[in-house]
Amino acid sequence: MKSKIVGGIILLLVIIVIIAFQFVNVNKPEEITVSGYLGGEKEGLMQDEEVKKILKDKYGITVEYTKAGSIEMIEQDSSDKDYLFPSSQTALELFNQTKSDKLYKSEIVFNSPIVIYTWKPIAEALINNGIVEEKDNSYYIADTSALIKLVTDKKKWSDIGVNDLYGYVTIQSTDPNKSNSGNMFAGLVANIMNNETVVDSSTVDTILPNLKDFFGKIGYMEHSSGDLFEQYLKTGMGAKPMIAGYENQMIEFAIENPNDWNMVKEQVAVLYPEPTVWSSHPLIALNEKGAKLIEAMQDEEIQKIAWEKHGFRTGVNGTINTEIEGFYGIPKNINAVIQMPNPDTMQKIMDGIK
Amino acid sequence: MKKISGNKKLIISVMIIIVVIAIIVGSIISIQKSGSNISFGKKTLNILSGSENEVLEPILEEFEKQNNVNINMTYEGSVDIMQELQNGAENYDAVFPANSIWISMGDTNLKVKNQKSITTTPVVFGIKKSVAEKLGFVGKDVTTKDILEKIQSKELSFMMTSATQSNSGATAYLGFIYALLGNPEVITAEDLDNEELKTNLTTILSGVNRSSGSSDWLKDLFLESDYDAMVNYESIIIDTNKELVARGEEPLYVIYPQDGLGIADSPLGYIDNGNKEKEEIFLKLQDYLISDEVKPKLLELGRRTSFAINFENSNPETFNSDWGIDTKKVLNVMKMPTADVIQKALNMYQTELRKPSLTVYCLDYSGSMAGNGVTSLRSAMSMLLDQTKAKNYMLQASTKDVTIVIPFDNNVLDIWKAEGNDETTLLELQSKIDSLDPQGGTDIYKPLIKAMDEIKKYNVSDYTTSIILMSDGKSNVNSYNQVVEEWNQENLDIPIFSITFGESDDRELQALADFSTARVFDGKDNLEKAFKQAKGYN
Repeated sequence: MKSKIVGGIILLLVIIVIIAFQFVNVNKPEEITVSGYLGGEKEGLMQDEEVKKILKDKYGITVEYTKAGSIEMIEQDSSDKDYLFPSSQTALELFNQTKSDKLYKSEIVFNSPIVIYTWKPIAEALINNGIVEEKDNSYYIADTSALIKLVTDKKKWSDIGVNDLYGYVTIQSTDPNKSNSGNMFAGLVANIMNNETVVDSSTVDTILPNLKDFFGKIGYMEHSSGDLFEQYLKTGMGAKPMIAGYENQMIEFAIENPNDWNMVKEQVAVLYPEPTVWSSHPLIALNEKGAKLIEAMQDEEIQKIAWEKHGFRTGVNGTINTEIEGFYGIPKNINAVIQMPNPDTMQKIMDGIK
Repeated sequence: MKKISGNKKLIISVMIIIVVIAIIVGSIISIQKSGSNISFGKKTLNILSGSENEVLEPILEEFEKQNNVNINMTYEGSVDIMQELQNGAENYDAVFPANSIWISMGDTNLKVKNQKSITTTPVVFGIKKSVAEKLGFVGKDVTTKDILEKIQSKELSFMMTSATQSNSGATAYLGFIYALLGNPEVITAEDLDNEELKTNLTTILSGVNRSSGSSDWLKDLFLESDYDAMVNYESIIIDTNKELVARGEEPLYVIYPQDGLGIADSPLGYIDNGNKEKEEIFLKLQDYLISDEVKPKLLELGRRTSFAINFENSNPETFNSDWGIDTKKVLNVMKMPTADVIQKALNMYQTELRKPSLTVYCLDYSGSMAGNGVTSLRSAMSMLLDQTKAKNYMLQASTKDVTIVIPFDNNVLDIWKAEGNDETTLLELQSKIDSLDPQGGTDIYKPLIKAMDEIKKYNVSDYTTSIILMSDGKSNVNSYNQVVEEWNQENLDIPIFSITFGESDDRELQALADFSTARVFDGKDNLEKAFKQAKGYN
């Protein structure tokens, strides 16, 4: 009799364990690992513990990535990948042209305008030269053509009153053939050179020699926006006087390194070109797993973290609703925007700069 | 059919239940295990690093202790690091060169991620203060061209590392080109064909007294020699000055050329070979190195840790303004040319412009070298003599180089010479090395004396001269004193580098290296690598 009771208790326990185990399992989504190519500017976001936790707990997703430039990743073999996460429409369009059979689904999940990062003494000199204007704590490049002309006219820093710097005015960017921020910057400069109208196949040949000259002055071009930005901040005004980057990069730096931000915030300056171009970050799914990542990245909480901690604008036109503490000078809306040249024209621009 | 009793029934059902429980518990444990980090044994992080980071070892040891992990540092020159990355860097988990450009140019396999600059330090001229004063370089803006003029007129003797082996040497060399071209917007491939530029560079580089494959060793060499100046990192000049002051000697005065050389941004990046645990350790190490706990230690080493490079100097003993060090000055940097221009410039340095090398290889062909020994030796030499292979490591011969090979056992067996960089001539030399077979005893001193005799036939000041002795055994004869005597008598400032192999007596070789200010390279694990390193110093 006694043993029967023991047996019964054990049986009961087993049933409880089984039920409990299944209960836990039912509420947990299927665990998947999703791997792909990621633009360097989103490394901070994908390494964010909060983001990782939401992806894991709510969606059962562990993300693995290989860092690659937006244009570079399109050219890579992606047969063992589930997604590509570049930072431009152009990359998506190039993908559609060459590998459209591989496309499962795509969605723009973030936006960020192209800005120019520089230093206070340079920003002030540009204000004095009537090129930059300060409005509501933000710096706008009111005369972007004039800024580009400083470079093409071989002006020296001393010509615009920055006497601490040696040599010629230049704006550095990543390689337009490898990385998106450089690619978009090339599109923007091309438009500016075309009297601030979008370059197309009928006008591209006129501006190409000038554009080539502009990029030829940069010398060595980095492959990753993240690396260029890191060098800008670390090696200072003499090494990187002006670089093209994404708006989100400085915001992310400020939030992640509040102490360091306090030390540099009086020294750095963010210039918003008028007009600028939007960098849209399309998430390209190559299969069902990639599609699940698209769904997860559109999660409200992740979108909130993406803005508040990493500076990626979300929503359709990127209007911001929440202020970021301790960080000022971010325009609520980006009003002056120009379209990127179409993919064929961009291809011509890229080949011309190569 | 036998009837199963009630008791047996119970036993069977209990057993089934136990098995079920075991399976469930087991699977739960295994699920938990795969999700967490249960691991046994110490984890190791293999880092491919520039030699300037050797001074960080105490800081890394602290991390090893705190986290119970091993950090394995392998020191290589910048070009080698770039090459290793291009080859996939399968054996490394992280890369830590002096400048991010080497990762950028090397990472064609897209394996590097999470790259962060740990410290910064500018490449500068360090000139003896009295000399700097005499030349009028103190207290005013000086350009690279001003300094180069003094080098060209022989008023200033200086040292720099090899441009094709070390980042500081490459930076300085490109900086010289930029200055000699009159500081153009950017250096182009056509600029490099300018004959006047080549002549000027040849003159300047002929003033380089001794070359070195690494920035840190250049400091050691400087401290043991008597030169006016060196091009090196600000942090290494600081380190040198601390030692000079301790000895009661005159410190170096730091000149930041107004037109700028370069800044070493010391990036630490993860090499993704697909090991999650290593990635976690890596990220922890990276956070540690940029933490507020470690920053003061890095500052103590003369590294800059601040963003925007300038900072309020809180450590006047290290960042000493009497040494010309200025932490608030805007540091201009020349623009790096495109990758193909850099490659072209480095090739020109190696094959045309650098001070030619006069290198005597004394190679051990004693009986104990038979088998593996002589095979490794032949393949190591072919890496230097076969110009197609040498090009991979930027170790090609130049048109004016002199290569002498002295094979020995207990006697000098022969003397083989090749002048210039003609591929066929060098391959003929290689075929002699390939066809000689080892036998007999060992005397490492006879070939050294012979080497000095051969060197005396040349005008030594026209060359970067050195002897590279490779031996696998203890010398049967000891004529150490005779070698030292001859060396001193002829006043030959020739470093005697050694490469150890097999059973060789390291003390004997170390003694030779010490008195001639050279180095001993360990070829026991990898003879090719040791030859590569030794040659990188010449």
